Amino acid sequence: MHLLAAAATHSAWLPAAWLAPCMLGAIAVSRPEPGAGGAAEIGALLPPLLDSAYGTALHLTRNATDAEDLVQEAALLACRGFGTFQPGTNFKAWFFRILTNCFYSTYRKKKRGGTQLELDDTPELYLYCQTAAIGLHGQTEDPARLLMERLDAEQIGAAVDALPEEYRVVATLYFLQDFSYQEIAEVLDVPVGTVRSRLHRGRRMLQKALWVIAEERGIIRDLTAADPPPEA
Amino acid sequence: MHDHYRLTCEEVFARLDDFLDRELSEEETRRVEEHLAACAACASEHRFETGVLDGVRAKLTRIAVPTSLRAAILRQIAGGTA
Ligand SMILES: [Zn+2]
Repeated sequence: MHLLAAAATHSAWLPAAWLAPCMLGAIAVSRPEPGAGGAAEIGALLPPLLDSAYGTALHLTRNATDAEDLVQEAALLACRGFGTFQPGTNFKAWFFRILTNCFYSTYRKKKRGGTQLELDDTPELYLYCQTAAIGLHGQTEDPARLLMERLDAEQIGAAVDALPEEYRVVATLYFLQDFSYQEIAEVLDVPVGTVRSRLHRGRRMLQKALWVIAEERGIIRDLTAADPPPEA
Repeated sequence: MHDHYRLTCEEVFARLDDFLDRELSEEETRRVEEHLAACAACASEHRFETGVLDGVRAKLTRIAVPTSLRAAILRQIAGGTA
């Protein structure tokens, strides 16, 4: 406990809700010997994850300042709690669990940013049907690629950011980290079935968000105007 | 190879998301692949969904962490937990 108490007095960053029983227990039981060994190892494991951690944090918080704070907090907690990491297990999943717990306990309360779209009732194959309806399937062998090539990184990022939080978190871990269902389940501490259903439903919502953004930005108009379907 | 139960289009569609994520068993994966090889409609849906997922994955922000933050974290690591 004294490690955590010391951490809490160090600054106000330690989110109380982060102290999941498993982490607390592990910290209390197996506090590492402070020494160069632990620092050297986290020094090798953590830096390669920082870019993708920041990208993930941007989509979770939807705000650059909050994303920086979130990554810094998660890194600090990872350093302090590194003794609870079991060598040979999945460090990336371990670290992203800390990061998402930080997010849930602090930043989600801010509830800001993101376009509010009505995505709840998105049917399956949404983009497939929409692109078929505007005649794109007759123009190309690969209508998905044609559409996706017109959308830039900012627009695709905006579509992810439009997802409701529970879907956005899963989709971000899936697309940016290439985690498996099982790994996402471990990161979020939810059943694999929950990950699967949120991810599948989230992807349908994402398709609608992509379509709405493509329409808003004139991409659909350009696609249909540039290459009108051949008519007799 | 040829005498086992074949999946219908509906059954393939129900497995499409898991198939795209390589979350099916080997046996199920093989059955879906077999159907996609023989069914143009399902193959077209599969190709479309793959194209969307690949497009999102390829373009989703890969922004480097700000240099100052990276430096601060590296200092933190070097300084240990004290
Ligand atoms: Zn079929």
